[in-house]
Amino acid sequence: MLSFRTAIPRRQEVTLGVAGLVTFLVVWQLVAVSGWIKPQFLPTPGAVLAAFWRLFTEAGFAGDIAISVGRVWFAFFLAVIIAVPLGLLMSSYRAIGAFFEPFIDFIRYLPVPALVPLLIIWFGVGEASKIAVLWMGTFFQLVLLINEDTKRVPREYIESGLTLGANQWQVMRDIICPAALPNMVDNLRITLGWCWTYLIIAEIVAASSGVGHVIWSLRRFVKTPEVMAGIIAIGIIGLLTDQAFRLLHRRAFVYLDR
Amino acid sequence: MSYLSLQDVSKTFRTATGDVEAVAPLSLHIVQGEIVTFLGPSGCGKTTLMRMVGGLERPTTGQILLDGQPLGGPDRRRGMVFQSYAAFPWLTVAGNIRAGLRYRPGISRSEQADQIARLIDLVGLTGFEDSYTSRISGGMRQRVAIARTLAADPDVLLMDEPFGALDALTREHLQTQLMRINRTEGKTTIFVTHDVEEAILLAHRTLVFSARPARVIEDIDVSTLLPPAARDTETRDQPAFLDLRKRIQTVLRQEHHEGSKADVA
Ligand SMILES: Nc1ncnc2c1ncn2[C@@H]1O[C@H](COP(=O)(O)OP(=O)(O)OP(=O)(O)O)[C@@H](O)[C@H]1O
Ligand SMILES: [Mg+2]
Repeated sequence: MLSFRTAIPRRQEVTLGVAGLVTFLVVWQLVAVSGWIKPQFLPTPGAVLAAFWRLFTEAGFAGDIAISVGRVWFAFFLAVIIAVPLGLLMSSYRAIGAFFEPFIDFIRYLPVPALVPLLIIWFGVGEASKIAVLWMGTFFQLVLLINEDTKRVPREYIESGLTLGANQWQVMRDIICPAALPNMVDNLRITLGWCWTYLIIAEIVAASSGVGHVIWSLRRFVKTPEVMAGIIAIGIIGLLTDQAFRLLHRRAFVYLDR
Repeated sequence: MSYLSLQDVSKTFRTATGDVEAVAPLSLHIVQGEIVTFLGPSGCGKTTLMRMVGGLERPTTGQILLDGQPLGGPDRRRGMVFQSYAAFPWLTVAGNIRAGLRYRPGISRSEQADQIARLIDLVGLTGFEDSYTSRISGGMRQRVAIARTLAADPDVLLMDEPFGALDALTREHLQTQLMRINRTEGKTTIFVTHDVEEAILLAHRTLVFSARPARVIEDIDVSTLLPPAARDTETRDQPAFLDLRKRIQTVLRQEHHEGSKADVA
């Protein structure tokens, strides 16, 4: 049954995935109804589902999700359009890399939550500070990841391009970018996941809307089912985004043997 | 009537552990359309020499002239085929060849299509136009790389052990194919190999190098001994071929021996 590093049929894969989820839910249900833990700490899955429903029908949760998703995507977009060209230039021209690397490395190690107070002083409690937190959290990581991805493009590809008559810009556009793209998309997918972490921090500290804000304000009334429903909603959004990226990856890079 | 000239070209790599003289000052003259094969002990500097001709490595001393003009960095005039298959995996066979035509000025769309069809036929990949190069064999990938390089229409073709990683049968097949391609294309070519038979079969002229730093120790006019137009797979059995092979192997063995002595000293 357990064969080492061997593919299993797709149906078996799906069945096992569902079985894992169901087991988790059953254990949760058993623990919740056993009375070991008070319901205000651990409500049943059913109670959380009901809370989920209430959030959408009574509390306008969909609007908060839309706001949060919008913040994540906008900040992520701002990070990507600067990080990709900069990472590419840093790996292409040693001088540019040498100039930026120490600085970016330093900022990368600053914990984003520690920057939140400073960013609120600078940008206030409005949208700008949230975008700034997300941007700070992803941009610097992303630059270094793109830098690595483009650095790893085999030298033969680049030298082939040059001896086919491409100039430096053409090599970057026609060879380095397509060669590094699959890894870049993977790294975008991973950094977009981090964005959600920083978003919730930003929305808890200072916001009047968004998923993080909703969860945090429900906490005050110890509405545990709603808090858990909110957390699960984030998980679902993350999962869907991740799957969308994976699908895009499979469709766009059919030439990769996986 | 020298077309490609190397004048006192040398290369010393400066590394953290000291200088490595890969190529000693060396002069070499190659006429237009000539196919020159390089043989020599491993690590003697053949790749370095070829990369200098390709503009991928800057000579420490000396200069390289093409048609009387000094050469600099890499460009379309010197096409390169690498040992590691450098066909672009994100492109199909036809896409790779199109990449070779892409930077040639003044090629119309219909001309492009004609050239792609001609080159695919030339390297025997008809029927695989739309296959991604990650899905074809190593030998086929190397043929894609050769066709792509020819597509750019370089003045000089540089091949560094292009068949080095292939199995013996595939290699023999590609050698025969390359003999035919050479006859139709007539490109000035430098071909580096470890395989003595390959070096003779493909060559108009074979240069045997010493252990590092590379010097030419034998310069053999293979064309006179074995007329290129008459060569085929059976050439391997001809007495002239066997004599030549033996002669080169003796020199190489001698040189390998010298090289090992130098390593110990
Ligand atoms: N970039 C480099 N930096 C330092 N030393 C180098 C570099 N490239 C090559 N060398 C050294 O120069 C020498 C010649 O290398 P080269 O690759 O040209 O040999 P070769 O004749 O092509 O060998 P092989 O037959 O094994 O391919 C070797 O000792 C190698 O270690
Ligand atoms: Mg070599």
